[in-house]
Amino acid sequence: MNLSLLTLELGVIGLALALLLIDLWTPPALTGRLGLAAAIGLLLILALSWNMSGGPPVVGCGGMFARDGLALFFKRLFLAVGVLVVLMGVEYRERLALGFGEFNVILLIALAGMMFAASANDFVLLFVAMELMSVSFYVLVSFQRSRLPSLEAGVKYLILSALAAAFLVFGIALIFGVGNTTNFAALNAEGVRLAQDKLYWLGLLMVLLGLAFKIAAFPLQMWAPDVYQGAPTPVTALLAIGSKAAGFVLLLRVLFVAAPVLAAHWSKLLMLASAVTILYGNLCAIPQRNLKRLLGYSSIANAGYLLLGVAAVNASGAAAVLYYLAGYLFTLAAAFLVICVVMRDNEDIGALAGLSRRSPLLAGALALAMVSLAGVPPLAGFLGKFLLFRALIERGAAESPESFRSYWLAGVAVIGVVISLYYYFAVIRVMYWAKDPPDLSPIIVPARVQIPLAVCLVAMIYLGVMPGAVLAGATEAVKALKF
Amino acid sequence: MLAWTILISFLGAAALVLLPAESRRAARHTALLTALAGLACALAGAVQYERSAASGTPVDLVNFSWIADLHIHFHLAADGVSITLVLLTGIAAVAGVLFSWNIERRTREFFALYLALIGSVYGVFLSFDLFLLFVFYELAIIPKYFLIAVWGSTRREYGAMKLALYSLVGSAMVLVGLIAAYVVSGAQTFDLTELAKYHFPAAFQHWAFPLVFVGFAILAGLWPFHTWAPTGHVAAPTAGSMLLAGVVMKLGAYGALRVAMTLFPEGLRAWQNEIALLAVIGIVYGATVALVQRDLKFVIGYSSVSHMGFVLLGLMTLSKIGLSGAVLQMFSHGIIAGLLFAVVGRMVYDRAHTRDLTELQPMNLSALAPFAAVTFVIAGAASMGLPGFSGFIAELQVLAGAWQVFPRLTLLAGVGILVGIAFMVRVWIKAFFAEGDIKASAIPIEPISMPERAGALVLLGTTVLIGLWPGLLLNLITPTLNSTLFQGMVKGGPQ
Repeated sequence: MNLSLLTLELGVIGLALALLLIDLWTPPALTGRLGLAAAIGLLLILALSWNMSGGPPVVGCGGMFARDGLALFFKRLFLAVGVLVVLMGVEYRERLALGFGEFNVILLIALAGMMFAASANDFVLLFVAMELMSVSFYVLVSFQRSRLPSLEAGVKYLILSALAAAFLVFGIALIFGVGNTTNFAALNAEGVRLAQDKLYWLGLLMVLLGLAFKIAAFPLQMWAPDVYQGAPTPVTALLAIGSKAAGFVLLLRVLFVAAPVLAAHWSKLLMLASAVTILYGNLCAIPQRNLKRLLGYSSIANAGYLLLGVAAVNASGAAAVLYYLAGYLFTLAAAFLVICVVMRDNEDIGALAGLSRRSPLLAGALALAMVSLAGVPPLAGFLGKFLLFRALIERGAAESPESFRSYWLAGVAVIGVVISLYYYFAVIRVMYWAKDPPDLSPIIVPARVQIPLAVCLVAMIYLGVMPGAVLAGATEAVKALKF
Repeated sequence: MLAWTILISFLGAAALVLLPAESRRAARHTALLTALAGLACALAGAVQYERSAASGTPVDLVNFSWIADLHIHFHLAADGVSITLVLLTGIAAVAGVLFSWNIERRTREFFALYLALIGSVYGVFLSFDLFLLFVFYELAIIPKYFLIAVWGSTRREYGAMKLALYSLVGSAMVLVGLIAAYVVSGAQTFDLTELAKYHFPAAFQHWAFPLVFVGFAILAGLWPFHTWAPTGHVAAPTAGSMLLAGVVMKLGAYGALRVAMTLFPEGLRAWQNEIALLAVIGIVYGATVALVQRDLKFVIGYSSVSHMGFVLLGLMTLSKIGLSGAVLQMFSHGIIAGLLFAVVGRMVYDRAHTRDLTELQPMNLSALAPFAAVTFVIAGAASMGLPGFSGFIAELQVLAGAWQVFPRLTLLAGVGILVGIAFMVRVWIKAFFAEGDIKASAIPIEPISMPERAGALVLLGTTVLIGLWPGLLLNLITPTLNSTLFQGMVKGGPQ
């Protein structure tokens, strides 16, 4: 047992425990500071992570825990999400009836679960990390005990998540039954023999279903809009960014570390799931009026785009997934920060009317986020989609370069992008050019929102215009996977 | 010199964003200065190019590595074809600002979006890296959409969204084709000159060419994907329709020529007849529909579809005379359509508050606004393709080229020209020179202002200048068609 491998995770858990204790002696008026302290703590851990190098991959804790470039990339991602979400929480704290201290603690524990997921090299750790996240989210989603939508969202999440966990456990049991091990590396070594056994395929399929829930992809995507709408905004943000990213790192590890033999066979299946997810998310987003619900459907669509990269089954696809997630992180964080400040009790898109005059910063940030989500250059969202399409077309060209049929999924994906322009632009139009906005009182944006918002905006533009460094990092990180 | 056009336009847009919201005067002047500076750069660059490279080869302006991992370069270059269109953009930009002088609502934001659109258009015309070209092409969608959705008129939100979606569908098709070319060539580069050297497999070209060509041509108003054009033109504010017809439609035609036809010459041969047929249908259909419209802007909108049909027909001739006619027609139509929209949108609609021909009929506009009437008559004559104007020489070249390849289609296109004359004469009579019961002339309308006169003179002067002295542009275009980039597609033929 090499504890130094777990420095970052232990750091986050230690921070959570420390906050829990300090909260006992903090007067209620000062709890806001606790949130800021948590953010600073996470920033320090993030800084610490920069000190580590992906280096030669290390596997520890009985082969369960991998520390490689891929894990580190995702851990940095999660820590960045953590900082942004905790700051969002500070802004949101009056709306949480009670227990802001505990809110932060549970949030950090969910974060620790995601970080463990990034390193999972064994189905046991995979399951434990998933449950650590899920159980924390049960509490977080229904945190506003007096608000009915929040409770409803919590119950929905609980039931459907339990269903997904059941698939997962059953799948793991089958895999263990056939392979006699739950370790990814050991399963890979036996890959060719196991692939003969249909039960192994079934087990893996069920694991994929369990993961599809986490990333909100077809066929387990139904929960996302309801839960996104009901949950407190910072929790929605963590679900949309962190939980999805955790699902994807697990998907990458299961497919390309544990079962690369099967991954190639399932390319078509993944493509189909991706196509349906993209179309479902984008089509259902069109009539939405509630912004958080709209982002729920948009997050389904984005899960579909990300699946393109997985379905491509090549290194550039996996790298594109990582890059897209990095861009998605800052884009969505900016959107949710704005929602947190502006939409206090009314989450209808109409409530954004006149925002450009109430606060140019908030309006500009949300507009940029929407443009990036719509995939218009030169922002992060465009380059992410470009990389995903490229990986997909590389896959098609590898099969048969001359036939148009190998590129059909790219066609579906671009249709999705075209549809999405419609509803993203509608949000921008309301902010800037709505007729007779009812409320024109200026919104004062506190520094604790301004700074993270500025960071998100700079990151969105940086990732779109100067993708070199992050892309190189993503390409390096996916060397941990086999194709 | 030419690369400055892009930078200046975007800097102008940025400067406008930083201006205080109330300063309308300053906003107008900033926009005009920026547009003039862009035009000056374009002119200087054109003169410089013509003096330096008689051979017509592309000249590098800027070239540095942008995204090293993907081998994408920030590569700007220019040859005769791109310079012709850069000049058009410069002239249309200046005229558009002059005809937007009366915008009072959110002036600053209007001109900021306007200049951002101009900057992106310059960018498309000068990019020789296809990724960069695509970025500029997409970048233009945002200002286009908001210029129409916010400052437009009839059914503006519908028109704006339709245009944005059509543009995006087109660019999505282009993107898939471009990435496929990038991957299949194995060259891992988006550089136009590099990719053009690669011989793509015939089966690949057979679907990649229509994908990319139609993707671009949607924006050029290729029938039956033209339907965004009339609604978009009608919904747009005056300067918006001027730019849509004048410049944005050229983006599509330019992309089709520069990318689809250059990269996939075999695919081009395979689809040549089908596309020529669509182009001629566009010519006849656009003119015929224009003949029965009541809204004056719809008349001009459909006439744009008809005139852009000549561009596409010229491209499909694959002969030097037809191609140079097509490029010249892009320039010419940009100027003339801009002028027509300016008269209809600014001089007539802003004063009479209607564009309906039956309502305009009793107003006797020729007496109320003689300047508008004269301008419209001259612009209409240019649009018909009368000798002495730029449209004449362009359409003549296109028809001469087309006659050798598609004689029957050419006859049909000739019918389109006749219908074109008919609808223009109908508009002259109904809108300006109606006889009979004239009570409305008692209504006082504001006189045509200085900026309008200046803008009209710039556009009129250009079309007459090119009409009398087409060599000014043909000297740029023709040598370029001899360069290596065009060797794959041009079959030769006379001249």
